[in-house]
Amino acid sequence: MGAQTGPYFEDIRVGEEYTSPGRTVTEADIVIFAGLSGDYNVLHTDAEHMKASTFGERIAHGLLGLAIQQGLLGRVMPPSGAEQLGALKWKFKGPIKIGDTIHVRARVAAKKDGEKPEWGLVTIERRVLNQRGEVVQEGETEHRLERRSGAARA
Amino acid sequence: MTAVAAGERRIYFEDVVVGVPLETPGMTLTETHVNLFGGLIDARPQDPRAVPDLLPLCLSSGLGWRVPQPPLVVLAFMGFEWRFLLPARVGDTIRSVSTTVAKRPMKDGGVLIEERNILNQRGEIVQSGKLTLLVARRPAA
Repeated sequence: MGAQTGPYFEDIRVGEEYTSPGRTVTEADIVIFAGLSGDYNVLHTDAEHMKASTFGERIAHGLLGLAIQQGLLGRVMPPSGAEQLGALKWKFKGPIKIGDTIHVRARVAAKKDGEKPEWGLVTIERRVLNQRGEVVQEGETEHRLERRSGAARA
Repeated sequence: MTAVAAGERRIYFEDVVVGVPLETPGMTLTETHVNLFGGLIDARPQDPRAVPDLLPLCLSSGLGWRVPQPPLVVLAFMGFEWRFLLPARVGDTIRSVSTTVAKRPMKDGGVLIEERNILNQRGEIVQSGKLTLLVARRPAA
């Protein structure tokens, strides 16, 4: 893990697709996320209360699912020290329950110029699916990537 | 399904006032936050003082429960749009300011649009966006 090794804006091609490994979301994941974030909403922490809800049991924080998919996608997309999240649009479509195994499918949807000439913007569409193939979360992220020419001194 | 523990005060859809900003206490970002988060999601920045982009957002959800009013009965977080404007560093102290900008009654509950800004100790907006929440209506007495 040295300095910036790419990818650069020029290396990303529209239409590229990535599928992450799966990860089983556990009770421990939810407990740790509640402790870290301070979000102890009963949705995530009160099993008895949730028995009577439409979900029937505790569900993972939506933002936990978002964070886990970020890590999963990082295992299959090329790393980039210059890659930064610029913007995000996200929908929580269904619950992630304890024991569900989720994975991410991502596709490079668009490339365009950034606000500065040394950067470009890449839009990635992402879908988070459970073990039944149901889309539980989906959205798109926009990233600022360094252009190769702008990194000549690196 | 929206029953809450006896004696606990809650804010329901009907109680939410549009246009009133609610500010949370601050939270200083530490290497411990970064390490716990990195271990949980399996992503560690090369620079240990760098704060992962999603961490301030995740912390703002917990900070949101610490505003000076009873908790809102949230049934589901439906979606959001978000912009990452400035990087955060270990040692920064973030806080969040949320304002409900729209309310829409639904058959089972109501939808709120919440505008949220995460600020650092210099008052700069680090992250900003709009969240869509499904919240409960006040149960019939």
